[in-house]
Order: sequence, then structure tokens, then C-alpha cells
Amino acid sequence: MIAIRGLEKSFGSARVLRGIDLDIADGEVVALIGRSGCGKTTLLRCINFLEEYEAGDIRLDGEELWYRTRADGVRRQVRDADARRMRQQMGIVFQQYNLFPHMTVLDNVLLGPRFAQRVSAAEAETLGRRLLARVGLDAKMSAYPAQLSGGQQQRVASARALAMRPQVLLLDEITSALDPELVGEVEDVIRSLLSDRIMMVLVTHALRFAREIAHRVAYLADGAIVEVGSPADVLDRPKDPSLKEFLRRVR
Amino acid sequence: MSFSRWVLTYGPTYLTGLGWTAVTAAGAAGGAIIWGCALLLIRMSGGRWGARAVDAYVQLFRNTPVLLPIYLIYFALPMVGLPWPAVVCGGLALILQNGAYISEILRGSVNAIDRVQFDAARSIGLAPWNTFRKIVLPQVLVYSIPALGNQTVLLLKDTSLLSAISITELTMQAKLLTEQTGAAYEAFMVVALLYLLLVSGTEVLFRATHRAVRWR
Amino acid sequence: MPPGSVELLARGAAVSLVLAAAAIIGGTLLAIVLTTLAFSRYAVVRAVYRVYVYVVRGTPLLVLALLLFYALPALDLRTGPYIAGTLVLIIYTGALFAEVFRGGVLAIPRPQRESARSLGLPPLAMFRKIIAPLVTRYTLPPYVNVCVMTVKASSVLSIISVWELTLAAREIIERTFAVFSVLTLAAAFYFVMCFGIDRLGRRLERHLALKGFAGERA
Repeated sequence: MIAIRGLEKSFGSARVLRGIDLDIADGEVVALIGRSGCGKTTLLRCINFLEEYEAGDIRLDGEELWYRTRADGVRRQVRDADARRMRQQMGIVFQQYNLFPHMTVLDNVLLGPRFAQRVSAAEAETLGRRLLARVGLDAKMSAYPAQLSGGQQQRVASARALAMRPQVLLLDEITSALDPELVGEVEDVIRSLLSDRIMMVLVTHALRFAREIAHRVAYLADGAIVEVGSPADVLDRPKDPSLKEFLRRVR
Repeated sequence: MSFSRWVLTYGPTYLTGLGWTAVTAAGAAGGAIIWGCALLLIRMSGGRWGARAVDAYVQLFRNTPVLLPIYLIYFALPMVGLPWPAVVCGGLALILQNGAYISEILRGSVNAIDRVQFDAARSIGLAPWNTFRKIVLPQVLVYSIPALGNQTVLLLKDTSLLSAISITELTMQAKLLTEQTGAAYEAFMVVALLYLLLVSGTEVLFRATHRAVRWR
Repeated sequence: MPPGSVELLARGAAVSLVLAAAAIIGGTLLAIVLTTLAFSRYAVVRAVYRVYVYVVRGTPLLVLALLLFYALPALDLRTGPYIAGTLVLIIYTGALFAEVFRGGVLAIPRPQRESARSLGLPPLAMFRKIIAPLVTRYTLPPYVNVCVMTVKASSVLSIISVWELTLAAREIIERTFAVFSVLTLAAAFYFVMCFGIDRLGRRLERHLALKGFAGERA
């Protein structure tokens, strides 16, 4: 499980996260919603340590991630090698796919296992083929990203994240950049992961999808979690006035 | 003697010079690209002092003519007990200077890589060396192909300066033929044409390579 | 450092600077003419430009220099290496500057070209008032680059026995074998000249930028 306590993060003088507390249980799917600029993407990036944060801690199965506090109270980043090892327990899929354009689809998926996890070439290839088959792209294995549609690229990006055999999958508005008719195929991939009971944290504007897939929904405003609970509670019986306003606008 | 008769008579003697020019240029271009990549790596991962050292190196070679390192290596190496062949000295000088330019070309191309790719590389836990080797370098090299072609053409032309340290490349060959036959004009016209041919060939080669990249 | 070599090298540097200055002035003038050829309405004239640039940029400077060096006496113009050397530098830098200018003209946004044409300005006024200022704006950085290249290229003339900085250095070395110190000093002279031109160019750029004239680097 993931336990986030008191997470604080600023960009210059702007406080983006003001003390976030959030637990994600094994196999649980949590959706983060809120207006743009509310800090939900930053929170996701902090979990993967793509952003540094000033205070608070994130634990995965009890192990503190990214920072160590010495006995004298000085807080230090963990060594780069440790950070890389910790990252391999997580996969992240970005809004803009971020595939490596100079590598084939299969090589994109293999890269992490081969060069970060030192899996043998044969084993990595088997894994890569299986994952690509799972996202329905085994036929496009030797294509380059530029030859694929946005939806296909995003499915490859999901396969790339899954190739690390992560305990947690972080999804950052993965359907926002897609044409509407391509959203479904990517959502199907995520839906199929539910049976794996992998932890998922997704930042999304698609409330319909959040309601369907998430066990809990957290509403963020001004860098804080204002309301959290089951999709039915948060989306249908909101208590906070700003959340009510947000939901009214989205509909 | 008419120009065509001259070409028919002395044409074959140019082959040695042509060979040396081609081999030196190709070797030095390969070396300079490798050295340029190394300089880029130092700049990107060598910390503040690494970047400063590379900057100073680039400025030095940018603001001095290539004849100076050619003379320096050619005259100084024997004095410290390293009597390397002139071709090696000349090639080394060309590598040192062109490597400086190439590292700048490559640096420019790093900016063409979408920043978000570095996030992706980090998120799958790639170490810096693997990120450089597998992500940065292949893309940077491909984006740089046109500029690298220009630089290789400049390098190819600069091999003519190696005649100053008595390497029998094309220019030297023409000088020798001039002394032998007294026909300077013909001798150098042929050489000029051969350079045009080599330069055009180089340009075609780089353009074809650029086109052959499938993922762009 | 062998005695007297500092003075010799300094004098050589002065000669290099004069050669480069002559080549930059002559080359710029030649390039203006060449650029008008490049934008001629006649395909034949444009082809002349392309062939000129292709030949000059496809041949090493040294080979051009030797050709001219040997060809000029053959044409019975008994000039010394200095005239031949300056000429070849002008021919060479002319092609480089011309490519810079051509790029600058092409960088003029189409609406500006069209509105200039629609004003019906006579060609000379069009050049002075519209094209020249705009091309200056787009071409200053690459122009300065070519100036620096010209200083470095002048060293090639040492091989056709034009006495300048590099030949001065080579002569001292052959006499005294003081390779390292002499070449280092020669490099320092070149560095000061080239780096100086580069800085001067940047200051000019900033100066023009302040007047809202040479904004972004093209």
C-alpha cells in the first residue's frame, strides 16, 4: 500500500500542495479530480519523484520513498541508484504518450526491463510481446511511434509502464490529448488491468470513467484534498460547495 | 598539351592522392564525431566544471586556425619522443578541431528532443549513462545529420592543409605534378574538380543517410 | 620564447588583420553583387550564382589560392602573393557572405516583401530602405561568424608564402625549434582577433536590439 503524509510542494512562492494525506490500499484505484492548476498532476509527479517536494513523506509498503531524514533532522534525497530502484516499483503514463520516437514499439517497451532491470534479452522480449498482445498491438511491434495513432501510442505507453511489473500505475490524464473516438481503446486497456489488482492513481477529467473504475475519488482544490470517498458519495452527494460548483460546470 | 590529353596522361597519378585524401577525411570525420559525442557527454554530465572545460576547449578551437594544431602536433610530438606518422598528426589535429564544432552542433540538437522524454526515461528508472546512450545520442545524431554533413565537407576541404606537413594527398600531389610537368594550371584544375566530386559525394551520402532514417 | 619573436608575431598578426579586413570589405561588396544575381528574374543569372557558390564552396581555399597563384602569372599579371592572396580571400569570403545574405533575404517575411513591392519603390530605394536594414537584422550573427572564419582562413595563405602570422610562426619554429611557445603565442594572437570580432558583433547586435531593430536572432 501507499501512504502519503503531509506532502508539501511549492513552485517558487506558489504553494502547489499544502499538506496532502492519502492512503491507497493494495489493489485500490483512486481517481484525483479537480480544476486545472489544483495540484493533482503535481501530486502524481511527486509520487514518482519527477518533482521534488519540500515536506511530508511517501511510503510504499512501509518503505519511505525519495527522502531520508537523518537523526539531526537534515532531510536528504536518497542516492540516485536507490531512486531508480524505487521508481521501478511504479509505472507512469503521461498525457502526451512520451514514447521514444527513434525506437520501435517493441524496443520502447523493452527499454526499462533491459537496461534498468537487467532482464535478459530473451525474457524481456517475451514479456514485451505478451504486453503488446495484451494492449492489442502485437501487430505493430516493429512500427515506430510516428506511424501510430494517438490511441495506439498511448496503449504502447501503458505497455511500457507495465513492463516494469510495477506495484503501482500512475495515469496522468492519459486520454485528454486523444481524439474522442480513440478514448475508448485506451480506457479498455485500463479496465482490463482491474483484474490484476494493481494499485492505480489516475488524474482525470473524465468523471464518467472515474466513476466506473475508481474505488475512491479524491477532489483537490488549491493544493489540498477537500473531499474523498466512494464515487457515489463524492460525485453524487458532494458536500463541499466548491466541489458542487465544479461538478455542475463539468456536466 | 590540351587539357584532355593532360588528364589522360596524368590522371592515374592522382589515385594515390585521392586515396590519402579520402582515407584521411573519412577517418578524421569518424574520429571527430566520436570526440564530439564525448565532449557532449562531458558537458551534459560532468557538472559545472566539466561544462566550463568543454566551453573553454570549444572557444579555443573556434577562434584559432586549424593550421596551428596541425603544426603543433606535427612538430612537437617528435620532440617528446613520439615520431608518429604525419598522417596521424594531421588527422589528430583535424579531429581535435572538428570535434569542438561537432560538440556544438550536437548540443544544438539536444534542444530538439522533447523535454518530456527525459521524464519518461526517469520514470522507467534509466540510469544517466543509459539515458544518454539509448535516448539522447541516437536522436541527437539523427537530428544533426545535415549539419554534420556540412562540417564533414569543411573537414574534407581542410585535409588540403595537410600538404603543408608533406602528406601526399590531392593538393600535394598536384604540387608534385606541377614541379614535374610545369603545368600548374592543369594540375590544379584536375584537383579542384576532384574535390568538387568528393564534396558532392559527401553531401549526397549525408542526404541519403538522413532520408534513410525511418522513424522521423 | 626566442628573442624578437614577440615583435615578429605581432607584426604577422597585423598583416593577418589587414588581409582579413581587406577580404571582409571586398567580400561583402562582392557578396552584395552576387546576392542580386541570386534573386535575378533570369534563370541563367541565378544559375551563375549557384555555380559560383557551388564551385567556391566545393573547393578548398588552398587549392583556389594555388590555382590563382599559378594562373595569375600565367595570365601575365605579375603580382606578388599578397595581391593573389587577397583576391582569393575575397573570392572565397564573397561566396560565404553571399549565402548569408541570401538566407537573410529569404528570411524577410513574405508580407513585408509584398508590401514593399506594393509601395512601388524604385529598386535602389527598395534596397536601401527595406532590404538592407532587414537583411542586416537577420544576418548579423552569421555575418560575424564568417568574419571570424575569414581571419582564420587568412592563415592558409601562409602556404602560398604570404607572410602573415602563421608564416611568421612557422619561420621562427624552423629557425629555433621553439614549437610550443611560438605556436601558443600565435594562437593567442588569433584568439584575441577572432574573439574580439565575435564580441564586437555581439555588442553591435545588442546595440541594434536596443533600438528595436535587431530583435531576435534569426
